[in-house]
Amino acid sequence: MLRVESVNKIFTSYARVTNTLQDINLTVNRGEFVSIVGPSGCGKSTLLNVIAGLEKSTGGRVVKDGQEIIDAGPDRVVMFQDSALFPWLKVIDNVEYGMKIAGITKPKRREIAIKYLKMVHLTQFASSYPHELSGGMRQRVALARALAMDSDILLMDEPFAALDGQTRNILHSELQHIWSETRKTIIFVTHNVEEAVLLADRVIVMTANPGTIKKEFIVEIPRPRKIESLELARVVNQIMSELREEVEKVAKSEFDSDWSPRSSKLLPTPV
Amino acid sequence: MQQRKKVSVASVSKKIIFYLVFVGIWEMFFRLKLWPEYSFPAPLGVAENLVTGFSDSSYFIAVGISLKRILIGYLISLSLGFSLGLLIIRIRFLDETLSPLLLGLQTLPSICWLPLAILWFGIGEDSIIFVVAIGSIFSISMSVVSGVKNVPPIYLRAAKTMGAKGIKAYTTVVLPAALPAIVTGMKQGWSFAWRALMAGELLSPKDGLGYALTIGRDLADMNQVVGVMIMIVIIGLVIDKLIFGKLENAIRHRWGLTRA
Repeated sequence: MLRVESVNKIFTSYARVTNTLQDINLTVNRGEFVSIVGPSGCGKSTLLNVIAGLEKSTGGRVVKDGQEIIDAGPDRVVMFQDSALFPWLKVIDNVEYGMKIAGITKPKRREIAIKYLKMVHLTQFASSYPHELSGGMRQRVALARALAMDSDILLMDEPFAALDGQTRNILHSELQHIWSETRKTIIFVTHNVEEAVLLADRVIVMTANPGTIKKEFIVEIPRPRKIESLELARVVNQIMSELREEVEKVAKSEFDSDWSPRSSKLLPTPV
Repeated sequence: MQQRKKVSVASVSKKIIFYLVFVGIWEMFFRLKLWPEYSFPAPLGVAENLVTGFSDSSYFIAVGISLKRILIGYLISLSLGFSLGLLIIRIRFLDETLSPLLLGLQTLPSICWLPLAILWFGIGEDSIIFVVAIGSIFSISMSVVSGVKNVPPIYLRAAKTMGAKGIKAYTTVVLPAALPAIVTGMKQGWSFAWRALMAGELLSPKDGLGYALTIGRDLADMNQVVGVMIMIVIIGLVIDKLIFGKLENAIRHRWGLTRA
Protein backbone atom coordinates (compact mmCIF):
# COMPACT_ATOMS: atom_id res chain seq x y z
CA MET A 1 0.00 0.00 0.00
CA LEU A 2 1.23 3.46 -0.88
CA ARG A 3 0.27 6.62 0.95
CA VAL A 4 1.03 10.14 -0.15
CA GLU A 5 0.78 12.32 2.95
CA SER A 6 0.28 16.08 2.55
CA VAL A 7 2.99 16.39 -0.04
CA ASN A 8 4.06 19.86 -1.17
CA LYS A 9 6.38 20.83 -3.92
CA ILE A 10 7.36 24.42 -4.43
CA PHE A 11 9.55 25.50 -7.32
CA THR A 12 11.28 28.80 -6.76
CA SER A 13 12.71 30.52 -9.75
CA TYR A 14 13.92 34.03 -10.32
CA ALA A 15 10.59 35.13 -11.74
CA ARG A 16 8.14 33.48 -9.40
CA VAL A 17 7.29 30.84 -6.88
CA THR A 18 5.17 27.96 -8.18
CA ASN A 19 3.11 25.72 -5.96
CA THR A 20 3.43 22.70 -8.19
CA LEU A 21 1.97 20.41 -5.55
CA GLN A 22 -0.02 21.57 -2.59
CA ASP A 23 -1.16 19.31 0.19
CA ILE A 24 -1.56 16.15 -1.85
CA ASN A 25 -3.07 13.21 -0.02
CA LEU A 26 -3.57 9.96 -1.81
CA THR A 27 -3.76 6.30 -0.97
CA VAL A 28 -3.18 3.60 -3.51
CA ASN A 29 -4.04 0.04 -2.57
CA ARG A 30 -2.25 -3.08 -3.64
CA GLY A 31 -3.37 -4.27 -7.04
CA GLU A 32 -5.15 -1.02 -7.80
CA PHE A 33 -4.93 0.84 -11.09
CA VAL A 34 -5.06 4.57 -10.43
CA SER A 35 -4.98 7.22 -13.13
CA ILE A 36 -4.08 10.83 -12.51
CA VAL A 37 -5.41 13.36 -15.00
CA GLY A 38 -5.16 17.11 -15.10
CA PRO A 39 -4.35 20.04 -17.33
CA SER A 40 -0.78 20.38 -18.46
CA GLY A 41 1.35 21.92 -15.77
CA CYS A 42 -0.82 20.69 -12.91
CA GLY A 43 2.06 18.78 -11.41
CA LYS A 44 0.83 15.27 -12.12
CA SER A 45 4.19 14.20 -13.48
CA THR A 46 5.90 15.88 -10.56
CA LEU A 47 3.71 13.89 -8.21
CA LEU A 48 4.69 10.70 -9.99
CA ASN A 49 8.36 11.66 -9.77
CA VAL A 50 8.03 12.31 -6.07
CA ILE A 51 6.48 8.88 -5.61
CA ALA A 52 9.25 7.39 -7.75
CA GLY A 53 11.84 9.10 -5.60
CA LEU A 54 13.29 10.92 -8.60
CA GLU A 55 12.29 14.28 -7.15
CA LYS A 56 12.20 15.43 -3.58
CA SER A 57 9.07 17.01 -2.17
CA THR A 58 9.39 20.23 -0.22
CA GLY A 59 6.96 19.01 2.40
CA GLY A 60 5.04 15.95 3.47
CA ARG A 61 6.07 12.40 2.73
CA VAL A 62 5.33 9.32 0.73
CA VAL A 63 5.07 6.05 2.62
CA LYS A 64 5.13 2.67 1.01
CA ASP A 65 4.35 -0.40 3.14
CA GLY A 66 5.21 1.57 6.26
CA GLN A 67 8.51 2.84 4.90
CA GLU A 68 9.12 6.41 3.94
CA ILE A 69 10.37 6.85 0.40
CA ILE A 70 13.61 8.77 0.20
CA ASP A 71 15.14 7.64 -3.06
CA ALA A 72 14.38 5.97 -6.34
CA GLY A 73 14.34 2.21 -6.23
CA PRO A 74 13.51 -0.88 -8.20
CA ASP A 75 10.37 -1.44 -6.13
CA ARG A 76 8.78 1.51 -7.96
CA VAL A 77 9.86 1.22 -11.55
CA VAL A 78 8.92 4.06 -13.89
CA MET A 79 7.84 3.89 -17.50
CA PHE A 80 8.43 7.19 -19.27
CA GLN A 81 6.80 8.90 -22.22
CA ASP A 82 10.07 8.44 -24.07
CA SER A 83 10.85 4.75 -23.86
CA ALA A 84 14.25 5.51 -22.31
CA LEU A 85 15.58 2.23 -23.64
CA PHE A 86 19.36 2.08 -23.75
CA PRO A 87 20.31 2.33 -27.42
CA TRP A 88 23.54 0.34 -27.01
CA LEU A 89 21.73 -2.71 -25.69
CA LYS A 90 19.70 -5.20 -27.66
CA VAL A 91 16.00 -5.41 -26.86
CA ILE A 92 16.46 -8.51 -24.73
CA ASP A 93 19.38 -6.97 -22.83
CA ASN A 94 17.30 -3.88 -22.21
CA VAL A 95 14.56 -6.02 -20.68
CA GLU A 96 17.17 -7.83 -18.61
CA TYR A 97 18.92 -4.67 -17.44
CA GLY A 98 17.16 -4.21 -14.11
CA MET A 99 17.44 -7.88 -13.27
CA LYS A 100 21.14 -7.78 -14.08
CA ILE A 101 21.58 -4.89 -11.66
CA ALA A 102 19.62 -6.89 -9.08
CA GLY A 103 22.11 -9.73 -9.54
CA ILE A 104 19.77 -12.31 -11.00
CA THR A 105 21.65 -15.06 -12.84
CA LYS A 106 21.84 -14.96 -16.61
CA PRO A 107 19.66 -18.01 -17.45
CA LYS A 108 17.02 -16.93 -14.95
CA ARG A 109 16.79 -13.39 -16.21
CA ARG A 110 16.79 -14.49 -19.82
CA GLU A 111 13.82 -16.73 -19.04
CA ILE A 112 11.95 -13.88 -17.36
CA ALA A 113 12.82 -11.43 -20.13
CA ILE A 114 11.49 -13.78 -22.77
CA LYS A 115 8.31 -14.30 -20.78
CA TYR A 116 7.62 -10.57 -20.76
CA LEU A 117 8.70 -10.04 -24.34
CA LYS A 118 6.15 -12.69 -25.20
CA MET A 119 3.57 -10.77 -23.22
CA VAL A 120 4.16 -7.70 -25.38
CA HIS A 121 4.49 -9.86 -28.52
CA LEU A 122 8.01 -8.87 -29.44
CA THR A 123 10.06 -12.05 -29.05
CA GLN A 124 11.14 -11.95 -32.68
CA PHE A 125 12.81 -8.57 -32.07
CA ALA A 126 14.77 -9.79 -29.05
CA SER A 127 18.12 -9.21 -30.71
CA SER A 128 17.25 -5.96 -32.48
CA TYR A 129 18.49 -2.62 -31.28
CA PRO A 130 15.97 -0.04 -30.04
CA HIS A 131 16.57 2.34 -32.95
CA GLU A 132 15.41 -0.38 -35.31
CA LEU A 133 11.95 -0.43 -33.73
CA SER A 134 8.97 1.86 -34.17
CA GLY A 135 7.83 4.14 -31.37
CA GLY A 136 5.02 1.77 -30.40
CA MET A 137 7.35 -1.20 -30.33
CA ARG A 138 9.80 0.70 -28.18
CA GLN A 139 7.09 1.44 -25.65
CA ARG A 140 6.20 -2.25 -25.60
CA VAL A 141 9.80 -3.09 -24.83
CA ALA A 142 9.80 -0.42 -22.13
CA LEU A 143 6.66 -2.01 -20.70
CA ALA A 144 8.27 -5.45 -20.78
CA ARG A 145 11.36 -4.02 -19.11
CA ALA A 146 9.25 -2.43 -16.38
CA LEU A 147 7.19 -5.58 -15.84
CA ALA A 148 10.27 -7.77 -15.73
CA MET A 149 11.45 -5.81 -12.69
CA ASP A 150 8.52 -7.30 -10.82
CA SER A 151 8.27 -4.11 -8.80
CA ASP A 152 5.60 -3.52 -6.19
CA ILE A 153 4.33 -0.50 -8.05
CA LEU A 154 4.51 0.43 -11.69
CA LEU A 155 4.58 4.17 -12.33
CA MET A 156 3.61 5.22 -15.82
CA ASP A 157 4.24 8.79 -16.95
CA GLU A 158 2.13 9.41 -20.06
CA PRO A 159 3.58 6.29 -21.63
CA PHE A 160 1.43 6.40 -24.75
CA ALA A 161 1.25 10.17 -25.28
CA ALA A 162 3.79 10.21 -28.09
CA LEU A 163 2.17 7.40 -30.07
CA ASP A 164 -0.28 7.61 -32.92
CA GLY A 165 -3.94 6.84 -32.28
CA GLN A 166 -4.08 3.31 -33.64
CA THR A 167 -0.95 2.18 -31.89
CA ARG A 168 -2.23 3.71 -28.70
CA ASN A 169 -5.54 1.83 -28.98
CA ILE A 170 -3.77 -1.46 -29.41
CA LEU A 171 -1.52 -0.78 -26.45
CA HIS A 172 -4.52 0.20 -24.35
CA SER A 173 -6.20 -3.13 -24.85
CA GLU A 174 -2.93 -4.93 -24.25
CA LEU A 175 -2.25 -3.04 -21.06
CA GLN A 176 -5.76 -3.91 -19.85
CA HIS A 177 -5.06 -7.51 -20.64
CA ILE A 178 -1.63 -7.49 -19.00
CA TRP A 179 -3.00 -5.78 -15.95
CA SER A 180 -5.77 -8.30 -15.48
CA GLU A 181 -3.12 -11.01 -15.77
CA THR A 182 -0.55 -9.52 -13.44
CA ARG A 183 -2.72 -7.35 -11.15
CA LYS A 184 0.12 -4.93 -10.70
CA THR A 185 -0.36 -1.79 -8.70
CA ILE A 186 -0.21 0.92 -11.32
CA ILE A 187 -0.21 4.69 -11.10
CA PHE A 188 -0.81 6.06 -14.55
CA VAL A 189 -0.38 9.74 -15.34
CA THR A 190 -2.04 11.06 -18.47
CA HIS A 191 -3.80 14.10 -19.87
CA ASN A 192 -6.05 11.85 -21.92
CA VAL A 193 -9.27 11.38 -19.95
CA GLU A 194 -10.58 8.55 -22.10
CA GLU A 195 -7.39 6.64 -21.57
CA ALA A 196 -7.60 7.21 -17.84
CA VAL A 197 -11.18 5.97 -17.60
CA LEU A 198 -10.54 3.04 -19.89
CA LEU A 199 -7.70 1.70 -17.80
CA ALA A 200 -8.18 2.73 -14.20
CA ASP A 201 -10.16 1.67 -11.17
CA ARG A 202 -9.96 5.20 -9.94
CA VAL A 203 -9.33 8.50 -11.68
CA ILE A 204 -7.80 11.38 -9.75
CA VAL A 205 -8.45 14.82 -11.19
CA MET A 206 -5.84 17.42 -10.39
CA THR A 207 -6.01 21.19 -10.63
CA ALA A 208 -3.22 23.47 -11.64
CA ASN A 209 -1.46 26.22 -9.76
CA PRO A 210 -1.62 25.31 -6.99
CA GLY A 211 -1.53 21.65 -7.94
CA THR A 212 -4.06 19.94 -5.76
CA ILE A 213 -6.37 16.97 -6.03
CA LYS A 214 -9.76 18.27 -7.07
CA LYS A 215 -11.86 15.18 -7.24
CA GLU A 216 -11.77 11.44 -7.40
CA PHE A 217 -13.88 9.24 -9.63
CA ILE A 218 -14.33 5.55 -9.07
CA VAL A 219 -14.77 3.76 -12.36
CA GLU A 220 -17.00 0.77 -11.91
CA ILE A 221 -17.33 -0.31 -15.48
CA PRO A 222 -16.65 -4.04 -15.81
CA ARG A 223 -13.57 -5.13 -17.73
CA PRO A 224 -12.59 -5.61 -20.49
CA ARG A 225 -13.65 -2.09 -21.34
CA LYS A 226 -14.22 -0.66 -24.75
CA ILE A 227 -13.30 2.92 -25.56
CA GLU A 228 -16.52 3.36 -27.55
CA SER A 229 -18.86 2.12 -24.80
CA LEU A 230 -21.56 4.54 -23.64
CA GLU A 231 -20.90 3.91 -19.99
CA LEU A 232 -17.33 4.92 -20.47
CA ALA A 233 -18.34 8.03 -22.40
CA ARG A 234 -20.60 9.05 -19.54
CA VAL A 235 -17.79 8.90 -16.99
CA VAL A 236 -15.44 10.63 -19.39
CA ASN A 237 -17.96 13.44 -19.75
CA GLN A 238 -18.27 13.88 -16.03
CA ILE A 239 -14.54 14.15 -15.66
CA MET A 240 -14.24 16.41 -18.67
CA SER A 241 -16.66 18.94 -17.27
CA GLU A 242 -14.63 18.91 -14.10
CA LEU A 243 -11.46 19.38 -16.06
CA ARG A 244 -12.71 21.97 -18.50
CA GLU A 245 -12.79 24.58 -15.79
CA GLU A 246 -9.21 23.75 -14.95
CA VAL A 247 -8.00 23.83 -18.51
CA GLU A 248 -9.63 27.21 -18.96
CA LYS A 249 -8.02 28.46 -15.83
CA VAL A 250 -4.59 27.44 -17.08
CA ALA A 251 -5.29 28.88 -20.50
CA LYS A 252 -6.37 32.18 -19.00
CA SER A 253 -3.20 32.44 -17.02
CA GLU A 254 -1.04 31.62 -20.03
CA PHE A 255 -2.75 33.42 -22.90
CA ASP A 256 -3.22 37.14 -23.50
CA SER A 257 -5.95 38.86 -21.52
CA ASP A 258 -8.30 39.12 -24.54
CA TRP A 259 -8.67 35.34 -24.62
CA SER A 260 -11.90 33.81 -23.39
CA PRO A 261 -13.25 30.28 -23.57
CA ARG A 262 -16.29 31.52 -25.51
CA SER A 263 -14.22 33.00 -28.30
CA SER A 264 -11.96 30.02 -28.51
CA LYS A 265 -12.44 27.07 -30.76
CA LEU A 266 -9.71 25.19 -29.01
CA LEU A 267 -11.88 23.79 -26.26
CA PRO A 268 -14.92 21.58 -26.70
CA THR A 269 -18.17 23.21 -25.61
CA PRO A 270 -20.20 21.39 -22.97
CA VAL A 271 -22.54 18.74 -24.37
CA MET B 1 21.68 -4.04 -40.30
CA GLN B 2 23.47 -1.39 -42.24
CA GLN B 3 23.01 -1.49 -45.96
CA ARG B 4 26.45 -1.51 -47.50
CA LYS B 5 26.85 0.91 -50.32
CA LYS B 6 27.77 -1.03 -53.41
CA VAL B 7 31.10 0.08 -54.76
CA SER B 8 30.38 0.52 -58.42
CA VAL B 9 32.98 -0.09 -61.11
CA ALA B 10 32.22 3.35 -62.48
CA SER B 11 33.09 5.18 -59.27
CA VAL B 12 36.31 3.22 -58.78
CA SER B 13 37.47 3.75 -62.34
CA LYS B 14 36.61 7.43 -62.03
CA LYS B 15 39.03 7.69 -59.12
CA ILE B 16 41.73 5.68 -60.87
CA ILE B 17 41.48 7.85 -63.96
CA PHE B 18 41.64 11.00 -61.85
CA TYR B 19 44.85 9.96 -60.16
CA LEU B 20 46.41 8.73 -63.40
CA VAL B 21 45.71 12.10 -64.94
CA PHE B 22 47.04 13.81 -61.82
CA VAL B 23 50.30 11.87 -61.97
CA GLY B 24 50.44 12.52 -65.72
CA ILE B 25 50.20 16.27 -65.23
CA TRP B 26 52.79 16.06 -62.49
CA GLU B 27 55.16 14.22 -64.84
CA MET B 28 54.42 16.78 -67.55
CA PHE B 29 55.39 19.66 -65.30
CA PHE B 30 58.55 17.82 -64.43
CA ARG B 31 59.41 17.32 -68.12
CA LEU B 32 58.82 21.00 -68.80
CA LYS B 33 61.82 21.65 -66.52
CA LEU B 34 60.29 24.77 -65.08
CA TRP B 35 62.13 24.18 -61.83
CA PRO B 36 65.44 22.51 -61.10
CA GLU B 37 65.26 18.80 -60.34
CA TYR B 38 66.32 19.25 -56.71
CA SER B 39 63.25 21.33 -55.96
CA PHE B 40 60.65 19.55 -58.07
CA PRO B 41 60.71 15.76 -58.15
CA ALA B 42 59.27 13.45 -60.77
CA PRO B 43 56.63 10.86 -59.88
CA LEU B 44 58.88 8.13 -61.17
CA GLY B 45 61.74 9.29 -58.99
CA VAL B 46 59.50 9.36 -55.95
CA ALA B 47 58.26 5.86 -56.69
CA GLU B 48 61.80 4.66 -57.14
CA ASN B 49 62.79 6.19 -53.83
CA LEU B 50 59.91 4.45 -52.08
CA VAL B 51 60.80 1.10 -53.63
CA THR B 52 64.47 1.40 -52.62
CA GLY B 53 63.54 2.63 -49.18
CA PHE B 54 61.30 -0.35 -48.55
CA SER B 55 63.53 -2.92 -50.19
CA ASP B 56 66.52 -2.00 -48.02
CA SER B 57 63.92 -1.94 -45.22
CA SER B 58 65.03 1.48 -43.97
CA TYR B 59 61.47 2.81 -44.50
CA PHE B 60 60.00 -0.18 -42.68
CA ILE B 61 62.19 0.66 -39.73
CA ALA B 62 61.27 4.34 -39.90
CA VAL B 63 57.54 3.54 -40.05
CA GLY B 64 57.90 1.01 -37.26
CA ILE B 65 59.69 3.47 -35.00
CA SER B 66 57.16 6.20 -35.66
CA LEU B 67 54.25 3.86 -35.03
CA LYS B 68 55.82 2.62 -31.82
CA ARG B 69 56.24 6.18 -30.59
CA ILE B 70 52.72 7.20 -31.38
CA LEU B 71 51.35 4.03 -29.83
CA ILE B 72 53.16 4.67 -26.56
CA GLY B 73 52.32 8.38 -26.55
CA TYR B 74 48.70 7.75 -27.47
CA LEU B 75 48.24 5.05 -24.84
CA ILE B 76 49.68 7.37 -22.21
CA SER B 77 47.35 10.15 -23.26
CA LEU B 78 44.39 7.76 -23.36
CA SER B 79 44.89 6.64 -19.81
CA LEU B 80 45.77 10.06 -18.45
CA GLY B 81 43.09 11.79 -20.53
CA PHE B 82 40.43 9.40 -19.33
CA SER B 83 41.44 9.74 -15.70
CA LEU B 84 41.64 13.49 -15.98
CA GLY B 85 38.20 13.63 -17.64
CA LEU B 86 36.60 11.44 -14.99
CA LEU B 87 38.25 13.46 -12.25
CA ILE B 88 36.91 16.70 -13.68
CA ILE B 89 33.42 15.21 -13.83
CA ARG B 90 33.56 14.02 -10.25
CA ILE B 91 34.95 17.22 -8.78
CA ARG B 92 32.95 20.31 -9.63
CA PHE B 93 35.74 22.58 -8.47
CA LEU B 94 38.09 21.13 -11.07
CA ASP B 95 35.42 21.49 -13.73
CA GLU B 96 35.03 25.15 -12.99
CA THR B 97 38.73 25.88 -12.81
CA LEU B 98 40.51 23.37 -14.99
CA SER B 99 38.10 22.95 -17.90
CA PRO B 100 38.65 26.41 -19.41
CA LEU B 101 42.39 25.91 -19.11
CA LEU B 102 42.21 22.55 -20.88
CA LEU B 103 40.12 24.09 -23.61
CA GLY B 104 42.75 26.78 -24.01
CA LEU B 105 45.60 24.28 -24.02
CA GLN B 106 43.79 22.30 -26.68
CA THR B 107 44.22 25.22 -29.04
CA LEU B 108 47.97 25.28 -28.42
CA PRO B 109 49.72 23.35 -31.20
CA SER B 110 51.42 20.60 -29.28
CA ILE B 111 54.78 21.21 -30.93
CA CYS B 112 54.88 24.37 -28.82
CA TRP B 113 55.51 22.05 -25.89
CA LEU B 114 58.74 20.81 -27.43
CA PRO B 115 61.10 23.45 -26.02
CA LEU B 116 59.75 22.72 -22.58
CA ALA B 117 59.93 18.98 -23.19
CA ILE B 118 63.53 19.23 -24.27
CA LEU B 119 64.40 21.12 -21.11
CA TRP B 120 62.65 18.48 -19.04
CA PHE B 121 63.54 15.27 -20.81
CA GLY B 122 66.42 16.24 -23.09
CA ILE B 123 66.50 15.77 -26.85
CA GLY B 124 65.28 12.31 -27.69
CA GLU B 125 62.67 9.67 -27.27
CA ASP B 126 61.04 10.96 -24.12
CA SER B 127 60.41 14.46 -25.33
CA ILE B 128 58.86 13.19 -28.57
CA ILE B 129 56.54 10.88 -26.66
CA PHE B 130 55.71 13.72 -24.30
CA VAL B 131 54.74 15.96 -27.20
CA VAL B 132 52.64 13.18 -28.75
CA ALA B 133 50.85 12.50 -25.48
CA ILE B 134 50.24 16.14 -24.68
CA GLY B 135 48.90 16.63 -28.21
CA SER B 136 45.97 14.32 -27.68
CA ILE B 137 45.41 14.32 -23.94
CA PHE B 138 43.24 17.43 -23.88
CA SER B 139 40.87 16.46 -26.63
CA ILE B 140 40.44 13.04 -25.04
CA SER B 141 39.71 14.37 -21.59
CA MET B 142 37.45 17.14 -22.89
CA SER B 143 35.49 14.59 -24.89
CA VAL B 144 35.09 12.41 -21.82
CA VAL B 145 33.83 15.41 -19.87
CA SER B 146 31.40 16.64 -22.51
CA GLY B 147 30.32 13.11 -23.44
CA VAL B 148 29.41 12.31 -19.85
CA LYS B 149 27.80 15.69 -19.29
CA ASN B 150 25.60 15.27 -22.35
CA VAL B 151 24.25 11.87 -21.41
CA PRO B 152 20.47 12.29 -21.68
CA PRO B 153 19.20 12.56 -18.09
CA ILE B 154 16.33 10.20 -18.90
CA TYR B 155 18.78 7.29 -19.15
CA LEU B 156 20.00 8.02 -15.66
CA ARG B 157 16.48 8.37 -14.34
CA ALA B 158 15.51 5.07 -15.92
CA ALA B 159 18.61 3.41 -14.52
CA LYS B 160 17.89 4.82 -11.08
CA THR B 161 14.38 3.48 -10.97
CA MET B 162 15.76 0.10 -11.98
CA GLY B 163 18.11 0.15 -9.05
CA ALA B 164 21.39 1.18 -10.67
CA LYS B 165 23.38 3.62 -8.57
CA GLY B 166 26.90 4.90 -8.16
CA ILE B 167 29.63 2.96 -9.93
CA LYS B 168 27.13 0.54 -11.43
CA ALA B 169 25.13 3.32 -13.03
CA TYR B 170 28.41 4.74 -14.26
CA THR B 171 29.69 1.62 -15.94
CA THR B 172 26.37 0.37 -17.27
CA VAL B 173 24.76 3.64 -18.37
CA VAL B 174 26.90 6.77 -18.24
CA LEU B 175 29.99 5.48 -20.02
CA PRO B 176 28.15 3.52 -22.72
CA ALA B 177 25.90 6.51 -23.34
CA ALA B 178 28.93 8.79 -23.62
CA LEU B 179 30.94 6.40 -25.78
CA PRO B 180 30.10 7.90 -29.20
CA ALA B 181 31.30 11.31 -28.06
CA ILE B 182 34.37 9.79 -26.43
CA VAL B 183 35.33 7.88 -29.57
CA THR B 184 35.02 11.08 -31.58
CA GLY B 185 37.38 12.74 -29.12
CA MET B 186 39.76 9.78 -29.34
CA LYS B 187 39.79 10.12 -33.10
CA GLN B 188 40.52 13.82 -32.89
CA GLY B 189 43.17 13.13 -30.28
CA TRP B 190 44.78 10.59 -32.56
CA SER B 191 45.10 13.05 -35.42
CA PHE B 192 46.57 15.67 -33.10
CA ALA B 193 49.02 13.06 -31.84
CA TRP B 194 50.04 12.11 -35.37
CA ARG B 195 50.76 15.71 -36.28
CA ALA B 196 52.64 16.21 -33.05
CA LEU B 197 54.73 13.13 -33.69
CA MET B 198 55.79 14.29 -37.12
CA ALA B 199 56.69 17.74 -35.87
CA GLY B 200 58.56 16.25 -32.95
CA GLU B 201 60.53 13.88 -35.15
CA LEU B 202 61.41 16.71 -37.51
CA LEU B 203 62.81 18.88 -34.78
CA SER B 204 64.42 16.50 -32.37
CA PRO B 205 65.38 13.58 -34.49
CA LYS B 206 67.39 10.50 -34.54
CA ASP B 207 65.06 8.20 -36.43
CA GLY B 208 61.48 7.75 -37.59
CA LEU B 209 59.51 9.18 -40.48
CA GLY B 210 59.98 12.81 -39.52
CA TYR B 211 63.71 12.22 -39.39
CA ALA B 212 63.61 10.68 -42.86
CA LEU B 213 62.09 13.95 -44.02
CA THR B 214 64.89 15.97 -42.48
CA ILE B 215 67.49 13.72 -44.04
CA GLY B 216 65.82 14.18 -47.40
CA ARG B 217 66.08 17.92 -47.00
CA ASP B 218 69.72 17.77 -45.85
CA LEU B 219 70.66 15.68 -48.88
CA ALA B 220 68.51 17.86 -51.14
CA ASP B 221 66.78 14.62 -52.14
CA MET B 222 63.34 15.82 -53.15
CA ASN B 223 62.32 12.30 -54.09
CA GLN B 224 62.79 11.18 -50.53
CA VAL B 225 61.01 14.23 -49.10
CA VAL B 226 57.92 13.70 -51.22
CA GLY B 227 58.07 9.92 -50.81
CA VAL B 228 58.07 10.23 -47.02
CA MET B 229 55.28 12.79 -47.17
CA ILE B 230 53.20 10.31 -49.15
CA MET B 231 53.85 7.63 -46.54
CA ILE B 232 52.81 9.99 -43.76
CA VAL B 233 49.61 10.83 -45.58
CA ILE B 234 48.79 7.19 -46.26
CA ILE B 235 49.43 6.02 -42.70
CA GLY B 236 47.43 8.93 -41.31
CA LEU B 237 44.59 8.22 -43.70
CA VAL B 238 44.54 4.48 -43.03
CA ILE B 239 44.44 4.83 -39.27
CA ASP B 240 42.02 7.75 -39.32
CA LYS B 241 39.54 6.32 -41.79
CA LEU B 242 39.94 2.58 -41.51
CA ILE B 243 40.39 2.24 -37.77
CA PHE B 244 38.85 5.26 -36.08
CA GLY B 245 36.38 6.05 -38.82
CA LYS B 246 35.06 2.50 -38.90
CA LEU B 247 34.92 2.30 -35.12
CA GLU B 248 33.13 5.62 -34.88
CA ASN B 249 30.61 4.67 -37.55
CA ALA B 250 29.96 1.27 -36.04
CA ILE B 251 29.31 2.80 -32.65
CA ARG B 252 27.18 5.64 -33.95
CA HIS B 253 25.17 3.18 -35.97
CA ARG B 254 24.62 0.77 -33.12
CA TRP B 255 23.70 3.63 -30.80
CA GLY B 256 21.08 4.64 -33.34
CA LEU B 257 22.69 8.02 -34.01
CA THR B 258 22.71 7.55 -37.77
CA ARG B 259 19.84 6.47 -39.89
CA ALA B 260 20.82 4.17 -42.70
